[in-house]
Amino acid sequence: MLKNYLLIAWRIALQRKLFTVINLLCISLTLLVLLVLTALLENTFAPTGVEGKSPRMLQIVTMVSLNEEKGNFRHGPLGYKVITDYIKPLPSAELVAAVSMPESASVYQQGRITDLLLRRADAAYWQILDFEVLDGRVPTAEDVAAGRFVLVLNQSTATQLFGKQSAVGQQLNVGGQQFTVIGVVADVLQLNSFADMWAPVSTYPSSDYQHQLWGNFSALILARSAADFPALRQELATAVAGFKFDDPLKWQEAKIWADSKLEFFARMLLQNQTEPESGAASLLLLISLLMLLFMLLPALNLVNLNTGRMMERSTEIGVRKAFGASRQQLIGQFLVENLLLCCVGGLLGLAMAAGTLELIEQSGVIPYLQVEINLTVFALGMVISMVFGLLSGIIPAWRIAKLDPVHALKGARR
Amino acid sequence: MIKLSAISKNYQTDKVQTRALDNINLQVQAGEFVSIMGPSGCGKSTLLNIIGLLDRPASGQIEINGQLLGKYSDSQVAKLRNQTFGFIFQSFHLINELRVIDNVELPLLYRKMPAAERRAKAKAALEKVGLTARMEHFPNQLSGGQQQRVAIARAMVGEPQILLADEPTGNLDSQMGAEVMSQLLALNQAGTTIVMVTHNEQEAKHSNRIVRVFDGQLVQ
Repeated sequence: MLKNYLLIAWRIALQRKLFTVINLLCISLTLLVLLVLTALLENTFAPTGVEGKSPRMLQIVTMVSLNEEKGNFRHGPLGYKVITDYIKPLPSAELVAAVSMPESASVYQQGRITDLLLRRADAAYWQILDFEVLDGRVPTAEDVAAGRFVLVLNQSTATQLFGKQSAVGQQLNVGGQQFTVIGVVADVLQLNSFADMWAPVSTYPSSDYQHQLWGNFSALILARSAADFPALRQELATAVAGFKFDDPLKWQEAKIWADSKLEFFARMLLQNQTEPESGAASLLLLISLLMLLFMLLPALNLVNLNTGRMMERSTEIGVRKAFGASRQQLIGQFLVENLLLCCVGGLLGLAMAAGTLELIEQSGVIPYLQVEINLTVFALGMVISMVFGLLSGIIPAWRIAKLDPVHALKGARR
Repeated sequence: MIKLSAISKNYQTDKVQTRALDNINLQVQAGEFVSIMGPSGCGKSTLLNIIGLLDRPASGQIEINGQLLGKYSDSQVAKLRNQTFGFIFQSFHLINELRVIDNVELPLLYRKMPAAERRAKAKAALEKVGLTARMEHFPNQLSGGQQQRVAIARAMVGEPQILLADEPTGNLDSQMGAEVMSQLLALNQAGTTIVMVTHNEQEAKHSNRIVRVFDGQLVQ
């Protein structure tokens, strides 16, 4: 039976080329957009590559300082002192890293000035994140403790500055400070790792950063397992309850939230800075609804197209009914046909998405972007195709299958 | 085998209601060859469609093999059509996207039957109508007579007890019509009950009984 369904679906697809092309384009273009978006989202949130430990990692990127009586409010990145005094001592944390936000720094080299993004980090940063070291090494605890002026470059920056020569061992003047390049790592785009260069935190021109509550730092917390997150958050809440401001008259209360990557983005997008709840569930729901809506519009279009196409085959429906096809069997037949078309559209969409992602990567619109259609995205694509097939096929199939055989044989449309 | 009691059928077109069948009582015995005749639009095809469960009457009762069909579900009616009836239509109604052999196999698709057995039965049915050489062709590659013979093979492949033929020679020339009629007669002689709608008195004379319909009513 299935072979018969597939055979007729294939022949009808070949006979009605225009309809088939419109149908396939509708599906594949929708999937193209969805797949590119999911690939980018996956690249942002999934625990892969340099941030492979993210399932047991929390980050604190900003803090809120408040004095509700005086109406004072400040929201911004952490100072280094907040990390050393309140976050590093958390008992449930396996490791806590302090890293600055990427800052623009001028690099002087062979008469050229290049503006690059520099992060300064402590040694734990290199233990929490899994950078792929292509040449040399990354800074150690000794480098940081000794305040050594050592520098790590990413691959693109190393090539940009030194061409085919090895960058390791080269001297580089960054913002007036002389560094020695000790390592080259692969290009990365992820939230906590994105930069062109990295130096030890102890290479700041002044040690003032060690005493500041507000600064330019974020903290990465590595838990022993994700099960420790509630305990970590509780310990953080307890620590923050005892927060001591330099100016207690101006500031009374600090709010610091340890978030997963998704929670961090949700908090930023939904502006939930003062509540423990990040709004990640709402964000996911919103994204899912938008995706569903995005799929629904072409699906409705396909419902119309499919209804017309199936009604053209009413005589065939009549014949099948006359010879014993039940309503469920006919619905099954048309759904198989539609799912087949959607699968082909899905594969086409996947190929187009892979090509588009390759183009985006090569265009450099998003620096250091490395995305590809992986198995998760492929599976998601096929699931989306199936949902598409069901959405756009079930209504026409149901309408056509309930035709009386005698009317169907006469080619009636109602 | 077939018993219709007080069958009526109305058609609603715009605001006009037309009575297509009016209080029809008819019995067909197993092994009979019954011809239904009457002028165009008198309700012959409607009557045949109701017998074959392709259409539902407005009122009245249908009994097939002693079973009263009242509140049969869609799947029960589908099963009954599949196992009891074979249909031959005036305009053949073959599926042009399927090869001849696949068209003939169609009724068997809706039975739990292995593919090899289906194929063997379809080949045997085509052999009976002399079209084994054409089984890989598509319907539009055949003449009208050949298409109707394929339709006969399709109607017979499931070995139904009752064959319903709606003007089976209506679209054929006299020679091809005679061929089709001889095949129907052979089937009837082999025990198949046949109910045929026809305008052709000569063909009707081959049947055991002629039922005449006029303005939706049976006339003697």
